[in-house]
Amino acid sequence: MNRTFKTDCIGYALFAILLLVVIPWAVSFDGFALNTYARYLALGMVAMALALSWGYAGILNLGQAVPFALGAYIMAMHLKLQASAHMPGGLPDFMGWTNVEALPWFWQPFHSLPVTLIAGIAVPVALAALLAVFMFRGRITGVFVAIITLAFLVAVQLVFIEEQRYTGGQNGLTGLAPLQLLGWRVDNYSTQFYYLVAVCLMTSLAIGLALVRSKVGLVLKAIREDASRVRFFGYDVARYETLAFCTSAAIAGWAGMLYVLVLEFASPTYMGVAFSLAIVIWCAVGGRESLVAAALGGIIVNLLEGRLSDMFVDGWTFFLGALFIVVVLVAPRGLFGLVQSAVRHAGKTIRSERGGARARWLATGMGARRIDNGGR
Amino acid sequence: MGHLELKNLSVQFGGLKAVNNLDLSVAQGELRCLLGPNGAGKSTTLDLICGKTAATSGQILFEGRDITGLSEHRRARLGIGRKFQTPSVFKELTVLENMEIARSQNPGILASGFVFRTHIRGRLKEVLELVELKDHVHTKAGNLSHGQTQWLEIAMLLIQDAKLILMDEPTAGMTIQETRRTGEIFNSLKGHHTMIVVEHDMTFVRQIAETVTVMELGALLAQGSIEEIENDPKVRAAYLGNEVANHA
Ligand SMILES: Nc1ncnc2c1ncn2[C@@H]1O[C@H](COP(=O)(O)OP(=O)(O)OP(=O)(O)O)[C@@H](O)[C@H]1O
Ligand SMILES: [Mg+2]
Repeated sequence: MNRTFKTDCIGYALFAILLLVVIPWAVSFDGFALNTYARYLALGMVAMALALSWGYAGILNLGQAVPFALGAYIMAMHLKLQASAHMPGGLPDFMGWTNVEALPWFWQPFHSLPVTLIAGIAVPVALAALLAVFMFRGRITGVFVAIITLAFLVAVQLVFIEEQRYTGGQNGLTGLAPLQLLGWRVDNYSTQFYYLVAVCLMTSLAIGLALVRSKVGLVLKAIREDASRVRFFGYDVARYETLAFCTSAAIAGWAGMLYVLVLEFASPTYMGVAFSLAIVIWCAVGGRESLVAAALGGIIVNLLEGRLSDMFVDGWTFFLGALFIVVVLVAPRGLFGLVQSAVRHAGKTIRSERGGARARWLATGMGARRIDNGGR
Repeated sequence: MGHLELKNLSVQFGGLKAVNNLDLSVAQGELRCLLGPNGAGKSTTLDLICGKTAATSGQILFEGRDITGLSEHRRARLGIGRKFQTPSVFKELTVLENMEIARSQNPGILASGFVFRTHIRGRLKEVLELVELKDHVHTKAGNLSHGQTQWLEIAMLLIQDAKLILMDEPTAGMTIQETRRTGEIFNSLKGHHTMIVVEHDMTFVRQIAETVTVMELGALLAQGSIEEIENDPKVRAAYLGNEVANHA
């Protein structure tokens, strides 16, 4: 705990410079490019959220897309209502097509922006807490957690696709109004918007770091290694696991809200199995032991996807799968692990070179003088 | 009434009664040695006390309170600490981080959220010096020698400051000197902590023993001072060709 603090600060500062200075300059503040990067940042944020539960507490959540998509849908519902203000009864267009007569009660609260912003985090957290209590009180671990969260993901997606009257079904929610935030009409192709997303990512990262660098993070690491031993020291393991799981869901929901602002639509693919597994891959590529690395993993892989999928349209998914296999086989700790061992190695070489230089110096100057003294 | 009381305690694994109608009373501040041949049910008895295994029947009273149905972490919070037969430290964590986990007087999430540093001072410093790990605080526990790992777990129990300490073969794998030091530490804990120590090393048992309890096949075989036990024909029969017979 004491020692890693400096590394964290450096990593965080470098990441902040990358996000706030390097990227905007590199694309010369071009609105279109900044929108693309804002998308990568939102995805990096959800990868970082996964590292919180998977990397630290060993909870492999294959349903990380659920809180993300819930955040996205909640934001989209608000924007859809804004866009439908002139419609009869303020009813969204797709509801009219499916003969819904009045706005359902669970759509009503999202007229209000504050309610939307709170719900975009609170609803994913509440759902995560429900699942967490069931799993962690029941001491379900490892691969069973993966299976349950995956099943949960599939079930939630099914509900959203089936309930077309209320959710827009397969089409999702489109034709959204731009967000009005404190009198500011948010333009998702503006520099300000990019900075809004970047600041959200940096803030959530700071919260995550504070959590994992406190004793909570230490207890989570201990739980990952041997949960039952932790219990014999008096810690309520299920509570700690629930906290990690819910914080992760909160950040994912937050990222989902931003994602809708970037893309201007919400789709059931956000809670698809492919997308949810992709989050796991980003996190693994970056390195799940570090929040900054996981966020970078999300940004880098998506950047690559942006570049490569232009060249090989269908080949991309294949490439992503291959990338995951390579990472698991060659660098199971991701880019973070590679960098860490490189730094250690460099440190050792420098130290041994210094040692060598001193030995030579001793053998020549100092050594000779000693012999002189001895002769006297 | 004892600090810890086991009443008619039993546990059954399939057809095997690993602990069979065991009655045991340990007084406040007493150090009780628990002996018995391999498979006698000593570790299982400690498992029952700390909550690792649920009893099939019977009662466990700690400070007069029935704890038979409590979960592990609740028992730990009441003041029961356990050292396992195979050293159970967190190998991925450093020595200091292990100690921070063991320093669990405030195990709640809220309290943990505000701890960012482990200061090496006060009791923590004393304990680290006592077990000679002060120069290794930043070493990963996985890189310690076997003896040091045993020491670390003992240190963790000392800093946990449990009222009742359950030690399962604490000196296994230690050198003769290390074993002696452990005995000295245990002797210094007498009166402050109630302890149950499972051991096979009779030299060590002689160094620390007050009352000795011997188990066989999950049941109580004999109880008394070390001399009484060593001269007990039932015990000699149970250990036939085993250590007690050799030493006596
Ligand atoms: N979880 C379990 N499931 C089934 N059988 C068990 C379990 N735990 C212990 N046993 C059995 O219960 C009996 C008592 O085991 P225990 O570990 O308590 O013995 P012990 O006195 O500690 O022996 P040792 O000196 O070898 O450590 C053994 O026969 C063991 O095989
Ligand atoms: Mg045993």
